Amino acid sequence: DSEEESMSEGEMERLKEEVEEKKKVIAIMRNKPWRMKRRLVHLKECQEFVDKFEGALGKGKGRKFYAYKVMMTKKWIKFQRDFENFKTTCIPWERKIKEVESHFGSSVASYFIFLRWMYGMNMVLFGLTFGLVVIPEVLMGLPYGSIPRKTVPRAEQPTAQDYSVLMDFNGYCKYSVLFYGYYNNQRTIGLLKFRLPLSYLMVGVGTFGYSLMVVIRTMAKNADVGGGDGDDGEFTFAWKMFTSWDYLIGNAETADNKYASITTSFKESIVDEQENQKDENIHLRRFLRVLANFMIICCLGGSGYLIFFVVKRSQEFANRDDLSWYEKNELELIMSLLGLVCPPLFETIAELEEYHPRIALKWQLGRIFALFLGNLYTFLFALFDEVNNKKEYYANFTLYNNDTDTTPPPMDPSDVIRGPCWETAVGIEFVKLTVSDIQVTYLTILIGDFARAVIVRFLNYCWCWDLEATYPSYGEFDISGNVLGLVFNQGMIWMGAFYAPGLVGINVLRLLSSMYYQCWAVMATNVPHERVFKASKSNNFYMGLLLLILFLSLLPVVYTIMTLPPSFDCGPFSGKAKMFDVIMETIDLDLPAFLGTLMGYAANPGLIIPAVLLMVLAIYYLNSVSEAYQHANAELKKKMQMARDEEKNRRNNTESTDQVMKDLEDLLPNRSLLPPAPPPETGAGEHHTFTSNVNEPLAPIVQCR
Amino acid sequence: MGSRASTLLREEEIEEIKKETGFSHSQITRLYSRFTSLDKGENGTLSREDFQRIPELAINPLGDRIINAFFPEGEDQVNFRGFMRTLAHFRPIEDNEKNKDPTASEPLNSRSNKLLFAFRLYDLDRDDKISRDELLQVLRMMVGVNISDEQLGSIADRTIQEADQNGDNSISFNEFIKVLEKVDVEQKMSIRFLH
Repeated sequence: DSEEESMSEGEMERLKEEVEEKKKVIAIMRNKPWRMKRRLVHLKECQEFVDKFEGALGKGKGRKFYAYKVMMTKKWIKFQRDFENFKTTCIPWERKIKEVESHFGSSVASYFIFLRWMYGMNMVLFGLTFGLVVIPEVLMGLPYGSIPRKTVPRAEQPTAQDYSVLMDFNGYCKYSVLFYGYYNNQRTIGLLKFRLPLSYLMVGVGTFGYSLMVVIRTMAKNADVGGGDGDDGEFTFAWKMFTSWDYLIGNAETADNKYASITTSFKESIVDEQENQKDENIHLRRFLRVLANFMIICCLGGSGYLIFFVVKRSQEFANRDDLSWYEKNELELIMSLLGLVCPPLFETIAELEEYHPRIALKWQLGRIFALFLGNLYTFLFALFDEVNNKKEYYANFTLYNNDTDTTPPPMDPSDVIRGPCWETAVGIEFVKLTVSDIQVTYLTILIGDFARAVIVRFLNYCWCWDLEATYPSYGEFDISGNVLGLVFNQGMIWMGAFYAPGLVGINVLRLLSSMYYQCWAVMATNVPHERVFKASKSNNFYMGLLLLILFLSLLPVVYTIMTLPPSFDCGPFSGKAKMFDVIMETIDLDLPAFLGTLMGYAANPGLIIPAVLLMVLAIYYLNSVSEAYQHANAELKKKMQMARDEEKNRRNNTESTDQVMKDLEDLLPNRSLLPPAPPPETGAGEHHTFTSNVNEPLAPIVQCR
Repeated sequence: MGSRASTLLREEEIEEIKKETGFSHSQITRLYSRFTSLDKGENGTLSREDFQRIPELAINPLGDRIINAFFPEGEDQVNFRGFMRTLAHFRPIEDNEKNKDPTASEPLNSRSNKLLFAFRLYDLDRDDKISRDELLQVLRMMVGVNISDEQLGSIADRTIQEADQNGDNSISFNEFIKVLEKVDVEQKMSIRFLH
């Protein structure tokens, strides 16, 4: 030990350097074109050296610990690398998406990547909901038929198993774990004393919290990628032409894919170029754009009014009993039809505007967003309107009935009179809407794409004009419609998951089948767009929409939890004045007393307002810091560009771009301030040497001060 | 496999090839066995059909031109020396080679020779310039009929515009070097001959 301690600082440094060098050699060993035996010998030598002396770098007594720490670090790095590899192989559908990408371009593929991401998020939500709410109730709660809220009422029992009733989510469906009304309001259930109502509320809130976190994290990650575009714009076409083939491809199908992707990449570049070079007739274009926007606002207004009208009508229908199938489902049908008809209408009107396809896509998305938003909120308002109306009426009803509960005779649960359950009703509405949305989407693909492709292909043999080249030909994949469909579907799931825990499960199934179905449909029935454009590098536009929808679907649920009183006879919060009373109850009964007083203080407005102010200040500060960084980035980029231009010009022997240099050259024309030109090469074109630029010596200008 | 190959290749030949191309002894032996396995006619030379049996070359859009690069002017057979001479272009560049004496001629696998090899693939008429027509031919091979002729013409024009510096509407070898300056040619045009 003493001899190691007596090593001087300088020796330590030298040793450290040598160890570092050996490590570097180990790292690049693979790239060297050596014989295997030689490599192995070298590797062993280096590794022995490193092992022997790395431990010596720790000082004295800590040496063993240092060696141990180094070994653990190595093992940890290896584990991390293996885990990364494992994670990459676990990514599902990568090959499918690559195939779609090489045939249809990056923008179509970005939809499928988005779909896959949504699937991942929904799986997590599904896990949360099922694991913490549904499974405990099923395993530890009371079984079906034991209490009134879990039993089909006597009156409905004969029809409870009918297919039409089940399709409407009544009958046995209504009184199952799928909906809010099934859950019991016992404070703790089972041996583990699982607090179900608390868990239900927490999962409901946690769903939003998790989704928010995931969306914002993805947005932040995408924002990083979008920044560094660099200077690849210098030789785009030349590079594509000379370096795009991958000579390691040996498989015929892969080669086909590669052809397709090279073609697509050329087309994308062409479109980008064209857009940069269009000339403008500004006034006409502005007028057309204003006109288009005006027409679209009229459409939006019309659709909003239509929905309002239909909802009012459905309220009238609710009072009658003899309804045809159309009248029962009128609301869902109209909403789906609007969602089907308006987007193509918007697209036709948008042709007046003549934007770059990427920008036109964004406008289209924005407009469809406004459409769906209007529809959804009108629907919601109408729904809550009904709920409010009903509640007043039924509040009296249940109050009256409770008087007779003092000595309840033992009755069969299905005979007990129970009050209405508005949460389950709302849940049923959401589930019906989701299911009809799924059906309409799948049917549209089947008819609009598949049947059309089949007809065009086979009828073409005996038709007067060429069906494939002109109308109707094969369909193109509708990116904006599909993305928005996905985003709004997710919004509905977020809204409805609180009232119908089974909805998340339905959504997971839907996304899974959608992935396979749409991949197949795209490859089999669609043709690539005529104008293929690159998706913008940051996918933040989709994420931004998703974030907005998340907030908008958060509002109704939070309003419900905070303001509306829960139904008396069903659900985990029955009997309480407000839903969040569960939290109060838990704090009072389960947590130690001082926490209760602490939370009481924390809820004081005197504390909350300064906290909010602090957060606002923090946001402002971070915003200014980020702006400063962006500014510095732009400056650095400009400097790099100038340095590059300087070098380019120096090599080409043309005039300098730097103004100072130019002035100096003008003052001293005979003497070149730039380095001499390289000797002319054989077989090359003519080079202008620097001296030939200067024809006449100008009189030297005397410097005056 | 091994014994037949080494009996037909003499030591002096191996030494000469080593000096000319820079491959090591075992690499040359290994490549010789590959040469003989491609040589179905067993006459010590390769023909164009022999090369076309390699799937990666058959699929490559410029495969025919690459195969052509193996054969000297006007001939239809290439012997082992010629084979090695062409393959030498794809030898990876080693660090210690940069220290060799500057008076010796440039090795076949230098960056500039690699680029010259690629340049000759495009410049069919050997006039040291890639003209617009030659670019069009290459584009048609790479992209087929999926893009209209008009657009192909624009792409060719644009490529020349990006690369051309002396205004002669074609790409000379120096301009070609300039275009691919930032591309890692040493890595892309090297095949690591494994032992």
